[in-house]
Amino acid sequence: MNTRILLVDDELVFTDNMSKLLAIRGYEVKTANSGYRAIQCLEKERFDVIVLDLKMPGMDGITTLKEIKKLGLFIETLILTGHGSIDTAREALKLGAYDYLTKPCEIEELEKKIKGAWEKKEEAETKDTEEKIRQVTRSPASAFRIFPKGSK
Amino acid sequence: MSDHSHDQESSKNQGSEYNQNLYEKSKEYYQRLFRRFVLLTLICSCVPLVLVGWGINYHYTHFTKGRVKQNFKNQVDSHRTMIELFLEDRKSTLQSIAKTHTKEFMSQTSHLRRILGLLNMEYGQSFTDLGVIDHQGDHLAYVGPYDLIDKNYIKAHWFQEVMGKGVYISDIFMGYRKSPHFVIAVTNQEQGHRWILRATINSESFRDFVAQIKIGQSGDVYLVNDKGQLQTKPRFRGHIMGKDPYKVPVKQHAGIALHTLKASSHKEKGDIKKQLVATTWLDSPHWMLVVRQDYSEAFNEIYQTNKTTLIFLFLSTICILLVVILITKHMVSVIKNRDKESQELNKQLLQTGKLAAVGELSAGVAHELNNPLGIILTEKQLLLDSCQYQNPTLEELKANIHHSMDQIGLQVQRCKRLTQNLLRFARRTESVVEPVDLNSFLNEIIELMGREAASSGIKFFSDFDDQLPVITSDPSQLQQVFLNLVTNAIDAHSGMSYGSIHLKTKAVKDKNQVQIQVTDTGCGIPQHTLDKIFDPFFTTKPVGKGTGLGLSICYGIIERLGGSIEVESQPGEGTSFYIYLPIHSPSTDTST
Repeated sequence: MNTRILLVDDELVFTDNMSKLLAIRGYEVKTANSGYRAIQCLEKERFDVIVLDLKMPGMDGITTLKEIKKLGLFIETLILTGHGSIDTAREALKLGAYDYLTKPCEIEELEKKIKGAWEKKEEAETKDTEEKIRQVTRSPASAFRIFPKGSK
Repeated sequence: MSDHSHDQESSKNQGSEYNQNLYEKSKEYYQRLFRRFVLLTLICSCVPLVLVGWGINYHYTHFTKGRVKQNFKNQVDSHRTMIELFLEDRKSTLQSIAKTHTKEFMSQTSHLRRILGLLNMEYGQSFTDLGVIDHQGDHLAYVGPYDLIDKNYIKAHWFQEVMGKGVYISDIFMGYRKSPHFVIAVTNQEQGHRWILRATINSESFRDFVAQIKIGQSGDVYLVNDKGQLQTKPRFRGHIMGKDPYKVPVKQHAGIALHTLKASSHKEKGDIKKQLVATTWLDSPHWMLVVRQDYSEAFNEIYQTNKTTLIFLFLSTICILLVVILITKHMVSVIKNRDKESQELNKQLLQTGKLAAVGELSAGVAHELNNPLGIILTEKQLLLDSCQYQNPTLEELKANIHHSMDQIGLQVQRCKRLTQNLLRFARRTESVVEPVDLNSFLNEIIELMGREAASSGIKFFSDFDDQLPVITSDPSQLQQVFLNLVTNAIDAHSGMSYGSIHLKTKAVKDKNQVQIQVTDTGCGIPQHTLDKIFDPFFTTKPVGKGTGLGLSICYGIIERLGGSIEVESQPGEGTSFYIYLPIHSPSTDTST
């Protein structure tokens, strides 16, 4: 299964180009041009990694990141911003972002970070699944609680 | 180029002139400070000194005067006793001689001569002559230098007195011998008839006795009878039996009376001087003893002390003056140095504020540059990718390159616009007063900050007055003001999705001023911090984010440009800054 990426940036040209570049490299990419769009996308579809810009009109990167965390998904966020302020980047990391990159950045670098983020996300998911299985084997009745009806 | 350098030159000259003025002002200020300090300290230290000096002196004078007067009285008292004793002694001797000898014995001249000789031996030549007189006033015997043997005294004043009282000491009178003298006469009763033993006191030796206490250089001792006639000759002026040259009032009184009166001094008649005079009355004869001295001599001690005190006070004042001047000079120089340091600090502060503003600006600009650069990089990668992965036809490759290059061109344009704006601002570092078209000036600011603000969801709106006059002002400083205000306005929207900043210009005609209004739709400023926003180091931003200098620097700059700045704010709704600038700003200097 391909890694699914959500690109969030207010620069249309940038998201278009980037999605093309990532698609060629075998990623499944969706783009959103604002924080609201990003949240909408996340509610509809499943993604593995989000590449998020910090400075956007409307909902900015930090607020978007907080919203994403509220959703409680297995997903890693990678900050990609033109704003060179270390403070905002540090704040983002504190809020649980995986890492941060500054524009302009080479595609190889971005790919490397995406891979890292994906691995971390996979690891967390596996760990969580193992934990659930362990609980199920310990008391099968709890399985109904952990995997409610309708979940995949 | 030459014009430009000339401009710079003239602005520097203006600056140095301005500095010179400032320096002159402060010099005058320090001189005034110095004078005020010296005066105050002098008053504070000299007033108590003079008060204490005067108090001690007053007390001492009072005390010494009392002592001197008492001394004077004591002397007069003891002298009176001595004179009384002198006369009493002679009187009683004569009395005992009269009582112990018969008239017959005494009437023999040889006996009388022996008695006179014995008396003069005993009393040191104080008797001039001696006579025995019968009750009819005729001389029975006489020894002495005058030829008085056949004189009759029945009508003499002293004869009547002694016949009445039995003993009598006369005033000075002329008598038969036609020279001033006085007599002591005693009577004795023998066979129903009284006879008289009369002695004339040597007036020279009496005078010497009276005047034997010499009081200073100007002191004088003499006797006056109850009619004011001198009974002894004063030391310096006046004649025996004459008027008292010092005109001491002759008045009956008990004990010792002390007068101060003005009279001619002992030396010259015209030289009126204050005199200290003590008088006392003898019991018998009824004479007044006068002791006098020039006031100045009597209280010479006090005058000397006063002089010493004055010299001491004068010297102390000079010492204090010197110390005060030295200390004040030192203090003023310390204050001067402190002021210089704080001025230096202020300069550094302004510089720091400038740097902070530049820092904030560059962070924003970096974002705006990085975005187009990011796009350019992706375009490059797209071209590389198309070659590597897709094996495109020549047509396709051409189209791809064309598309990418267009995009790259657009982004480069974007970068160029940004750097041009930035440069235009960066160039304005020299402080020059020149014509400024505020409308286009503010447009530049909007262009520079607009994109960054837009990426935070903030839009700029401008409402510029077309009729706005071109003002002369300092663009480099105005730039700092508006960058600060706009940055603040953007920051006021943090945590908000959208907002707007309105810039408005207006000519305030009657006041020869222009008004620039910067209004944001941000968080606003609470009423209790509104008073403090222009204070240096006041900031509501977290530590490390703001210096608290921005608005205080704005305030300082606007003041120096001859304008004013006002603020209006509604928490939750936004803030408006109103800046008023004169059409012609005075020359300023960034280094101050």
